[in-house]
Amino acid sequence: MEFKLEAHRIVSISLGKIYNSRVQRGGIKLHKNLLVSLVLRSARQVYLSDPCPGLYLAGPAGIPAPPPQQQPGEPAAGPPAGWGEPPPPVARASWPETEPQPERPSVSHAPRVGDEVPVTTVTGVGDVLQGREADATEAAWSRVERPRQAAAGEAEGPAGGWGVFPEGSLAARRPCGCPLGGEDPPGTPAATPRTACCCAPRPAEDEPPAPPAVCPRKRGAAGVGGGPAGCPAPGSTPLKKPRRNLEQPPSGGEDDDAEEMETGNVANLISIFGSSFSGLLRKSPGGGREEEEGEESGPEAAEPGQICCDKPVLRDMNPWSTAIVAF
Amino acid sequence: MAGAGGGGCPAGGNDFQWCFSQVKGAIDEDVAEADIISTVEFNYSGDLLATGDKGGRVVIFQREQENKSRPHSRGEYNVYSTFQSHEPEFDYLKSLEIEEKINKIRWLPQQNAAHFLLSTNDKTIKLWKISERDKRAEGYNLKDEDGRLRDPFRITALRVPILKPMDLMVEASPRRIFANAHTYHINSISVNSDHETYLSADDLRINLWHLEITDRSFNIVDIKPANMEELTEVITAAEFHPHQCNVFVYSSSKGTIRLCDMRSSALCDRHSKFFEEPEDPSSRSFFSEIISSISDVKFSHSGRYMMTRDYLSVKVWDLNMESRPVETHQVHEYLRSKLCSLYENDCIFDKFECCWNGSDSAIMTGSYNNFFRMFDRDTRRDVTLEASRESSKPRASLKPRKVCTGGKRKKDEISVDSLDFNKKILHTAWHPADNVIAVAATNNLYIFQDKIN
Repeated sequence: MEFKLEAHRIVSISLGKIYNSRVQRGGIKLHKNLLVSLVLRSARQVYLSDPCPGLYLAGPAGIPAPPPQQQPGEPAAGPPAGWGEPPPPVARASWPETEPQPERPSVSHAPRVGDEVPVTTVTGVGDVLQGREADATEAAWSRVERPRQAAAGEAEGPAGGWGVFPEGSLAARRPCGCPLGGEDPPGTPAATPRTACCCAPRPAEDEPPAPPAVCPRKRGAAGVGGGPAGCPAPGSTPLKKPRRNLEQPPSGGEDDDAEEMETGNVANLISIFGSSFSGLLRKSPGGGREEEEGEESGPEAAEPGQICCDKPVLRDMNPWSTAIVAF
Repeated sequence: MAGAGGGGCPAGGNDFQWCFSQVKGAIDEDVAEADIISTVEFNYSGDLLATGDKGGRVVIFQREQENKSRPHSRGEYNVYSTFQSHEPEFDYLKSLEIEEKINKIRWLPQQNAAHFLLSTNDKTIKLWKISERDKRAEGYNLKDEDGRLRDPFRITALRVPILKPMDLMVEASPRRIFANAHTYHINSISVNSDHETYLSADDLRINLWHLEITDRSFNIVDIKPANMEELTEVITAAEFHPHQCNVFVYSSSKGTIRLCDMRSSALCDRHSKFFEEPEDPSSRSFFSEIISSISDVKFSHSGRYMMTRDYLSVKVWDLNMESRPVETHQVHEYLRSKLCSLYENDCIFDKFECCWNGSDSAIMTGSYNNFFRMFDRDTRRDVTLEASRESSKPRASLKPRKVCTGGKRKKDEISVDSLDFNKKILHTAWHPADNVIAVAATNNLYIFQDKIN
């Protein structure tokens, strides 16, 4: 259990470092980020491989279940298999998860309360996850967007990392757990289902241009800080909340809820960062993700070491870069 | 291990007695980030000592000629030249700021009256010529002493201009700029023993340049994977062999060193030798990979050995034996239990350098709390010394320091928890021939000398 807490803490710290590295002067340091991702990976392995029933709670009432039945090959699992056991491997072609994400099956069939929008949302995700290469980026993009917009809803935790945990309380704050449909780069195939939601204009709408383009540049003016102090991106601020919460030890009666939400968010975030550098886990090359053409098109422009912040380029970037940028 | 030298015994190896000589830099507690020294390098003769800082400036110190009236005191190093080598830049295409911090300085062997050095930031390498001017011409015909043109009709006689002495002026001018060859951050440059070429290394590639040609370079190592998500290691340092102009080594973040021979192929992706020490499974932790990342690699002057620095130790390798190092010296093993905290405060990413003395009998590297460590390879003795203003009286001997690792702390010992991790010595240099060392402590440069001779 202590290993798990330690691992959890290390994961939080690592994610914070990756996030801060975006706005450091001089651009993203490849070496340091690689080392951080190694630590993140080790901690994640410990974190996910140490089954601890207490942690995988049912969560607060009203967790809607994004039914992943759309996903091919996914068995219609019964009650969340993730409760206290290592989750069954998920057969999904496009997202190269070498280790299953516990929270995904765990919420797959919990009774849904209220919101059907998230269903739409998740349907969109499910569709996306059909495995089309072109959509792979979309999946990454949408995944990345959700934590941010979920956080933008002043969620205490990640609540709805994927838009799948919109608890009642969260729903009150945010009309739905939709991703930023409006923010999708043009031409996104999977954008349609997502935009067909009841979302009112979201605070996240302010975010689109800001985080990728502004932060690295703002860094120089803003000086050193825990975050992009000079960065006006609203997207950055909300994200700090879950991070702060992650680092606070759970306390009191809220324990279980907070813990569960943190788990969910952290695991979601892990899935973003953990799947990159997938070669570190696999011996054989050729990890799940197809390299986008855009990787080679702009000369080196889309490599993790050099993040180009133009939105059209973002669409072509690999999920690692996308994740970094979005965060 | 923490210092082995006793109280009154000679410190360091070979009965060295290190004494304070000079300190350069502001005394202010408030350190401007731009003043933080980022590289230190003696030239081939040791008469010149160059430092680069985070503000992109290079300061060169020159050793004064020995004073005949005091034959036992060594020449002091005084400022010889200061210039702005690199400026901050902005890459508009990628919306990235390029830091002006000088990552490395390497001197070229002197071939004429002028001195040449290479200095590099993250992206651009520059060749600087430092020349002296101590004469100026006077008695021009067409202009007067102020430089104003003289009226030709007023000139009634011709004279030959003569050279008159003037106050010494040291000029630094950029002679070559080697740009746009690196996508990632340059971490090393190394001048070849042929004195015509040099290499520059970034995280994923190493390029070979000719000193005269700036518009192209040859890529000799490329470890960038086709799919960046499969990236598992990066290049952390590279150096040419001191005598064999076809041989170079590069170290990686995985703790391995590859030796490459440029005669074997144009692209040296396949190494000729591969140096790696098997990991000790009992010491595995979350941070095992980080602490095994090599931060510096240096050939010995003889060319027979090379030294690598990782986070906790210094290792000496025999080029003829790839399976394991011939020596391993612990720099600050007491930090092994603190790795998590050091990860949190980013100290675990600090890149310490290491250096050989002129005879390859001793090695030196830095640590925290302004401590630096010296290891004598012959006597197997090591010592911990401190660069501090308190022990800055001229020719004052440095007292060996000791870190208390647990249990009762003896007098004069420092406990691990009291170490100041903001005071780190990352850059040190040893005079190529004499026992003179330069130690960079944040924004101050300390120069220590051996008391004997």
